[in-house]
Amino acid sequence: MQALLTTWKLTAVAFAIAFVLGVLITVMRVSPLKPLRFFGDFYVQIFRNIPGACLLIILVYAFPYLDIIWSYFTCVLIAASLIPAAFCSEYLMTGINAIPVGQIEAARSIGMTFAQMIRKIVVPQALRSSVLPLTNLLVATMLTTALASQVPLRPADLTGLVAHINTHAVGGVTAFFISAMLYCATAVVIGQIGNLIDKKVRILR
Amino acid sequence: MSAYAAEGQVPVIELRHVDKHFGDLHVLKDICLSVQRGEVVVIIGPSGSGKSTLCRTINRMETIDAGEILIDGVPLPEEGKDLAKLRAQIGMVFQSFNLFAHMNILENVTLGPTDVLKRPRKEAREEAMQLLKRVGVESQAHKVPAQLSGGQQQRVAIARSLAMHPKAILFDEPTSALDPEMIGEVLEVMTELAQEGMTMLVVTHEMNFARRVADRVIFMDDGSIVEEGTPEAFFENPQTERARNFLNSIKNH
Repeated sequence: MQALLTTWKLTAVAFAIAFVLGVLITVMRVSPLKPLRFFGDFYVQIFRNIPGACLLIILVYAFPYLDIIWSYFTCVLIAASLIPAAFCSEYLMTGINAIPVGQIEAARSIGMTFAQMIRKIVVPQALRSSVLPLTNLLVATMLTTALASQVPLRPADLTGLVAHINTHAVGGVTAFFISAMLYCATAVVIGQIGNLIDKKVRILR
Repeated sequence: MSAYAAEGQVPVIELRHVDKHFGDLHVLKDICLSVQRGEVVVIIGPSGSGKSTLCRTINRMETIDAGEILIDGVPLPEEGKDLAKLRAQIGMVFQSFNLFAHMNILENVTLGPTDVLKRPRKEAREEAMQLLKRVGVESQAHKVPAQLSGGQQQRVAIARSLAMHPKAILFDEPTSALDPEMIGEVLEVMTELAQEGMTMLVVTHEMNFARRVADRVIFMDDGSIVEEGTPEAFFENPQTERARNFLNSIKNH
């Protein structure tokens, strides 16, 4: 039970960070300033294309050489949020591209500044049309937290616990099966909530 | 023409020798044009003549390559805060309405007043309701744009412009995307606006509207202003071959 809670906690915090970061990166990617756009695109290209396990191993085993030592929890959290942030930004970009250019022109024609337009027109519409992909991302983030099993996190996450049982006791396969069911059940709940939100906020076009 | 449009007044909108290219295409050729306060200027011409582009340069939706555009005697600023401020003073109504899809009708009209003009929300809502009433869509105030007909959406777009108390409104083919039965209701609102003294620059294919409402008709072809004059003079006695051809081609339909 403790392990499931750890997984949920990691998932919730990682997704929250990924979401905020994803929105920021996306705003950079559509900003009129070229260095910001470049940084945003660069971030996405890097973190969309690194395996989570690889990033975690770098954080845990390579960063100490640079005298940067974080707790295992922090490392897992960073790995499980930087990567989904890149995907979050990609989904939001899709949402932004779906906004007709005429609405942007209309916003400019009533004298809105870039920042006002982003806050009032672009981000709200992009978010509302990205609910379903972001729901998928939340599930994917949860599955990414299984990375934690690769480091000795205490208390262990769901997969970490199961891996521990597998090596120290009998019934390993059963344990994996149970953990799979727990992941699945959580994902189904997340999916249902996502559908509900989507129905509520979807933009009629 | 209204009394304000007397000689010597600073025009609300003035274009001096404006040139613009899209790649190799010379879309605006040495355009000189001024619109006085209270004047209704209608621009007509075949498609591709540059009339829409001309309209869009005035609030810098399109940049220009050469020449000068002045609003109330002040040159258009570069992109940035000053330009945003200036755009707040010039309304624009688009062919495709461009209402904000995630907001209801009332919010569409109040967004500019509350966020750009920083007016109190309550006051902005009250005025917005009056404007919606004036354009005849007050019963739709809490619906979203997609639930309205094209004609209703365009009338909301006009109300959204009016809510900013603009010095002038640019209409970029406001009825071209509408079903025929809805064109009348939009033109009616525009006619009322004109009669109330609003300064308007209208790009349109509605010749009857031009005839009835315009103070001055401008005929454009191939990026140039070919002819301009009162509606009577232009429609009854066009001076140029190109204007005569254009008027004949639309008469045949």
